[in-house]
Amino acid sequence: MMERSLDAKRVLVVARRVVRQLKRDKRTIGLITFAPIFLLILFGYALSGEMSGINLGIVDFGGQDALKVHLQSVDDFDLLYLGSESDAEKLIVEGRLHGAVVIRKEEVRILLDGSSPQITSSIMAESRAGLLSPESLREGGRGEVLDGGVGRGADDIEMGPEIVQRYVYGYDLEMMDSVGPAVLGLVVFFFTFITAAISFLRERTQGSLEKFMVSPLSRPEMVAGYLLGFSLFALLQSATTFLVVVFVFGVPMNGNPLTAFAVILLLGAGALVLGAFFSNFAKTEFQVVQFIPMVILPQVVLSGVWWPLQSIPAFIRPISYILPLTYSSDALRAVMLKGAGISDILVPDLLFLVGFFVIVFGAATLMLKREVG
Amino acid sequence: MNDGENSAPDSFEDYSIVASGLKKSFGKLRVLNDLSVKIPGGTTYCLLGPNGSGKTTLIRAVAGLLRLDGGDLRVLGEPVSNVRRVYPRIGYMTQHKALYPDLTLRENMEFYAGLYGIEGVRMSERISELLDMVDLAEHSDRITGDLSGGMYQRLSLACTLIHEPDLLLLDEPTVGIDPILREAFWRFFDDLAEKGATILITTHLMDEAERCKIVGYMRAGKMLAEGSPEELKRLAGLRPVLKLWVNDPEASASILSSRGFDVRRVEDVLQVTIEDHQQLKEVLDQVVPLDLRLIEPSIGDAFLRLAEDESR
Ligand SMILES: Nc1ncnc2c1ncn2[C@@H]1O[C@H](COP(=O)(O)OP(=O)(O)OP(=O)(O)O)[C@@H](O)[C@H]1O
Ligand SMILES: [Mg+2]
Repeated sequence: MMERSLDAKRVLVVARRVVRQLKRDKRTIGLITFAPIFLLILFGYALSGEMSGINLGIVDFGGQDALKVHLQSVDDFDLLYLGSESDAEKLIVEGRLHGAVVIRKEEVRILLDGSSPQITSSIMAESRAGLLSPESLREGGRGEVLDGGVGRGADDIEMGPEIVQRYVYGYDLEMMDSVGPAVLGLVVFFFTFITAAISFLRERTQGSLEKFMVSPLSRPEMVAGYLLGFSLFALLQSATTFLVVVFVFGVPMNGNPLTAFAVILLLGAGALVLGAFFSNFAKTEFQVVQFIPMVILPQVVLSGVWWPLQSIPAFIRPISYILPLTYSSDALRAVMLKGAGISDILVPDLLFLVGFFVIVFGAATLMLKREVG
Repeated sequence: MNDGENSAPDSFEDYSIVASGLKKSFGKLRVLNDLSVKIPGGTTYCLLGPNGSGKTTLIRAVAGLLRLDGGDLRVLGEPVSNVRRVYPRIGYMTQHKALYPDLTLRENMEFYAGLYGIEGVRMSERISELLDMVDLAEHSDRITGDLSGGMYQRLSLACTLIHEPDLLLLDEPTVGIDPILREAFWRFFDDLAEKGATILITTHLMDEAERCKIVGYMRAGKMLAEGSPEELKRLAGLRPVLKLWVNDPEASASILSSRGFDVRRVEDVLQVTIEDHQQLKEVLDQVVPLDLRLIEPSIGDAFLRLAEDESR
């Protein structure tokens, strides 16, 4: 059976109804508007303390046990274990690490953020201390520091690692700068997902879905109507969150705000169809709430909102790469912090978000069809 | 795509619904068991049957909401696989009310009107007309969720009628509606049928069944009996019963029995089955009652009888 084409009028009829319903629900409106602000303030202060230490990345390819033990013992260092030097470099550029130590048997490379000299010297001092400690001397290590750029140790006479020091000029960033843009996506995703899942569940339980099916309204029209209606609220919500992020927390807005809104809307569209899809697996609103740990929590933990993706163990990381929030966070950071334009975030971020939306949209409409017994 | 309106057999044209040999099982449960039914256009057709006999399932099949396991079904001339084409002409009222509790009555109606492309003046006229009909005009701006159960049901019916459908599928539309309004509904249904609409309705109320042109009695997914209410009573072998209050029930009963009447004694009341007026006169010649009452059989009795016959 062929699905008829989308009729704009019917889509608008559904959208208007959705808006009327949400408008009347003052509590939800309040929640949509103020909850993100509340959350941000909470996170903002909770996280502001985290930057007191020095964030040091460790890329460990084996060897130099003494150095590792020593670095772990330094109280001021918050160590973050990473998979590759380029990951470390990226995080330094983004301002999320102050430096990184890349450990190999034959060589120790130290990446330093050139913009904060005090922290740089502290990282250098501790690394040297780790290599010169009695245990490491017994291992046959030796310490030599070669300053300047990507230089390599020239006189490698004795056995032991070379120390290579490299400066990377990072962005002097506070925690909120990196978390803010990501949280923007998180709140929109969370509220849209839950509201959509409950709305679609109600369509089913109150019998209106069955009634639609025996009307000229097609399933894609219905979902499209919801998308249109919800996008107004997603915009409202992202606007308030956005203002707080930029004006209260002083997160820079270097790119075009419209680009950021486009990313948020795209993410919200994905959250809506995901909610519609999941509503099929719930019988009650109580069961919808049970989706939070399943759908929302992994995104909170694995999508790089709070800590960088690169610090997530490699065997879990594939999951991160199928979560829409991973891409929205990346895109929003790029737009807000680096002033990226649409073309800069097209691949992979926008492409993934569009793909995610299209696939889940299809799945959600198919699931609605399943109603036919 | 278009399999030719011209090639459709003529016999189908007079029927809004033609079903033959419908089969549907949910797991092991056979809900439609080789069911056949023809529903002429412009008729009120009532589906009766105990809970779980498959009435709602049949209606859902007609609405195209069911993947049938077998059988042939045409709705308004279209095979059920193409029933979407005639959705603009169908009004479907589910056993659920299908209303948005957080919208006002008018907003609910506007929504359903919009789905059928009804807008502007035509929409507001139609809405006032229907709200009057279901006697909710003065509540039109209230929040639907605040309504009483019967009012909810009335609004649901109004929403179903918004696009003046040719075929109405009404699954227990009068549940919870007070007798006065129920009467108004039925007059309205008769009116619609007179104008050519076909109404397929389910109910558990015998007086409602009695008002329909055709009644079909379903049981375990089969159409057990079908016909006008009168035909069905005759089919069930039901005749009027004369109740007699007499001084000496014992003696009167034996007199009537000896004359070949079918007499039953319930307490001090005699119940005599009679065929016609001639027999009525004969009975009254034999006994002089203190009081009497002639009881016409109801369609409910007919179904009790049919159900008994079936289980035997
Ligand atoms: N989707 C379904 N899945 C499983 N079983 C179903 C489904 N729909 C109906 N049934 C079963 O089919 C049988 C017939 O149900 P149906 O709703 O058609 O009965 P009904 O005649 O409308 O009853 P009522 O008078 O109570 O409304 C019941 O036993 C019901 O449990
Ligand atoms: Mg039913």
